[in-house]
Amino acid sequence: MTELTPTLAPLDDPRWALLEREDDAAEIIAAPVRTYWQDVRARLAQNKPAMAGLIFIILLVLAAIFGPMLSPHSYRAQNLSLANLPPILKTTEVGGAEERQLVFVNTGNLNLYGVDEGGHVTGLLPGGRKDMINRQTIWQVGGAEVVLDYSSLPPVLAQEGGPGLSPGPTKWNRTYLFGTDQLGRDVLVRQLYGARISLMVAFVATLVNFVIGVTYGGLSGYLGGKVDLVMMRIVEIISTIPLTLYVILMMVVLQSGLISVMLAIGTVFWVDMARIVRGQILTLKSQDYVAAARTMGAPTRWIMAKHLLPNTIGPILVTATMLIPSAIFIESFMSFIGLGVTPPQASWGTLTSDAVETLRRYPHQLFFPATAISLTMFAFNFLGDGLRDALDPRLRQ
Amino acid sequence: MANGALSRLPLAYVGQRLVLMLVTLWAVITLTFFLMHAVPGGPFVSEKMLAPEIEAALNAKYGLDEPIWRQYLNYLGSVITFDLGPSFKYPGMSVNEMIAEGLPVTAQTGLLAVLCVVALGVPLGVAAALNRNRWPDTAVMTIATIGAAIPSYVIATVCLYIFALRLGWVPAFGLDDWRGYFLPVFALSGFWLSFIARLTRSSLLETLDQDYMTTARAKGLKRRKILLKHGLRNSLIPVVTIMGPVIANLLTGSFVIEQIFALPGIGRHFVLSITNRDYTAIMGITIFYAAFLMLMIFIVDMLYVWLDPRIDYRRRA
Repeated sequence: MTELTPTLAPLDDPRWALLEREDDAAEIIAAPVRTYWQDVRARLAQNKPAMAGLIFIILLVLAAIFGPMLSPHSYRAQNLSLANLPPILKTTEVGGAEERQLVFVNTGNLNLYGVDEGGHVTGLLPGGRKDMINRQTIWQVGGAEVVLDYSSLPPVLAQEGGPGLSPGPTKWNRTYLFGTDQLGRDVLVRQLYGARISLMVAFVATLVNFVIGVTYGGLSGYLGGKVDLVMMRIVEIISTIPLTLYVILMMVVLQSGLISVMLAIGTVFWVDMARIVRGQILTLKSQDYVAAARTMGAPTRWIMAKHLLPNTIGPILVTATMLIPSAIFIESFMSFIGLGVTPPQASWGTLTSDAVETLRRYPHQLFFPATAISLTMFAFNFLGDGLRDALDPRLRQ
Repeated sequence: MANGALSRLPLAYVGQRLVLMLVTLWAVITLTFFLMHAVPGGPFVSEKMLAPEIEAALNAKYGLDEPIWRQYLNYLGSVITFDLGPSFKYPGMSVNEMIAEGLPVTAQTGLLAVLCVVALGVPLGVAAALNRNRWPDTAVMTIATIGAAIPSYVIATVCLYIFALRLGWVPAFGLDDWRGYFLPVFALSGFWLSFIARLTRSSLLETLDQDYMTTARAKGLKRRKILLKHGLRNSLIPVVTIMGPVIANLLTGSFVIEQIFALPGIGRHFVLSITNRDYTAIMGITIFYAAFLMLMIFIVDMLYVWLDPRIDYRRRA
């Protein structure tokens, strides 16, 4: 073999200068030393959808806790005269230049509301005379008559004589930012209060599922043998039962209410968790450190709590994160068919089903609860996916 | 079954599965029965104050004056003979009649939804996988993510408002017109369509990476043949596995959909009997649902053997 010599080596070029070699350079670990959990956190922080989801969830939880306290309205106070107001008011100017006044026509319930310059609703315009025969309502505003004619749809606001009408500015409803519902309650506060209930149901139900699933799966996996066989057969039977039906049955038995919903959802969906924990424990319990702990006389409870469960926390965490959105889903589903929390309490499900009742006239009322549920689903799904990728990068697709 | 599927499906295993199904069904009946009897107050309590004699007569008529174990055995006996008993709230109507009345509607919409899930979800997933990281992939994944996050009843009401009330393209309720099927089927299949599209995509991507795909290409097989015979057939296995639960969920999802579109199906009967506290109807329909869903999962598991030659139940039986 002939030695390869660089024939045209430009040795005077500084780029070809020999680097000085330090003896211990090979031993230096260039990247910072990180534990597994630091790695997980770093990987999660790089996942943009997951972080967006996490931030959304944190903001939502804060809003759900503190929002209702900060609002001047209460979730249960009704004001029927201010029912079904939209968040955006298309105003009309009446009274001409001297007695200029902004009014808003609610075409759904044929009422006229006063609106001030800032966009605050000052209240129902008094003195509406209802003329049922000609299908119109007449108000006295600024010395002239304003007529709302609803004999043909859509209703038309008109004035005969007087200074005339002119289209006013379109304003944000500053009194009720999200408008009001059919009983005149503030939609924003009810929305936040609904978030409180929906999230509480989801978290408590997931916690109950978590405790039952981890205990059941852990015991089954650790004890093994006949106990495992029997316990897994039971799980097999439970998992072939359509669980939504059982949540419904539980709700029928327990009667509607917040605690019933939490109990019903919490006691039913632990099967997946139990299976995952069992699978993990089965592989972990044959590890040497478990044998070592047992040799040293550690009791079962200690080995479970200190050695086995901490090592299965990854999959458990992912399963729990995925359980929360399905609990929100099921709760809203239950509330939608009338088996959820009892009024005046509100959850996103009851808010949606209330909005569906008035869909024809006030379609905007559906927007807020539907968007809230969908965004929360996005957030939890993204966070769950991100957590799974962060905990086990090999699973990433 | 050309690939010897029958020999890999020994009768002993099928029998074992059937026995497990019967045990589960018995558990469902028992649990349902005792749950319904744990409801505070009898079935006639909510009505206007009944005279004690009338209540006693009603109890005697429906056998509610007997001890509970006797009632349980009676109920079990009648369920075995496919008799789910009379409805408490609609005199003269039996739960069987309720189910017979609602089943065609539920089955039709449900079947169409399953078809929609498979016939749209799988091709969408395939298109996404074959165009990985190009626009079809992005489009399908965006739709799938949105579809998985929006509850079916929201999809249903929004579609109802836009297409039926605003545009008037389809009727708002009922199935008299063939166009009436569009919205319920779409709303019902939305979530699972997204799910199946995502599943098909990730499964096909995994399959495309396998060595046997390279081998097939190296042998010079046609692209279409490689995709259909080697790629798709293997990547559809997880899709088929999930079809049992999908059918189950489509049917339970129909409670809300039938309510919104006013379809006279079983789901609507079920929700109505919940609001009416019609206990025998709740019990009967629950048991019917459970039996039906278990049967579906069973059938899917059996079909699975035919699709995947690696599955061999002989070892497990």
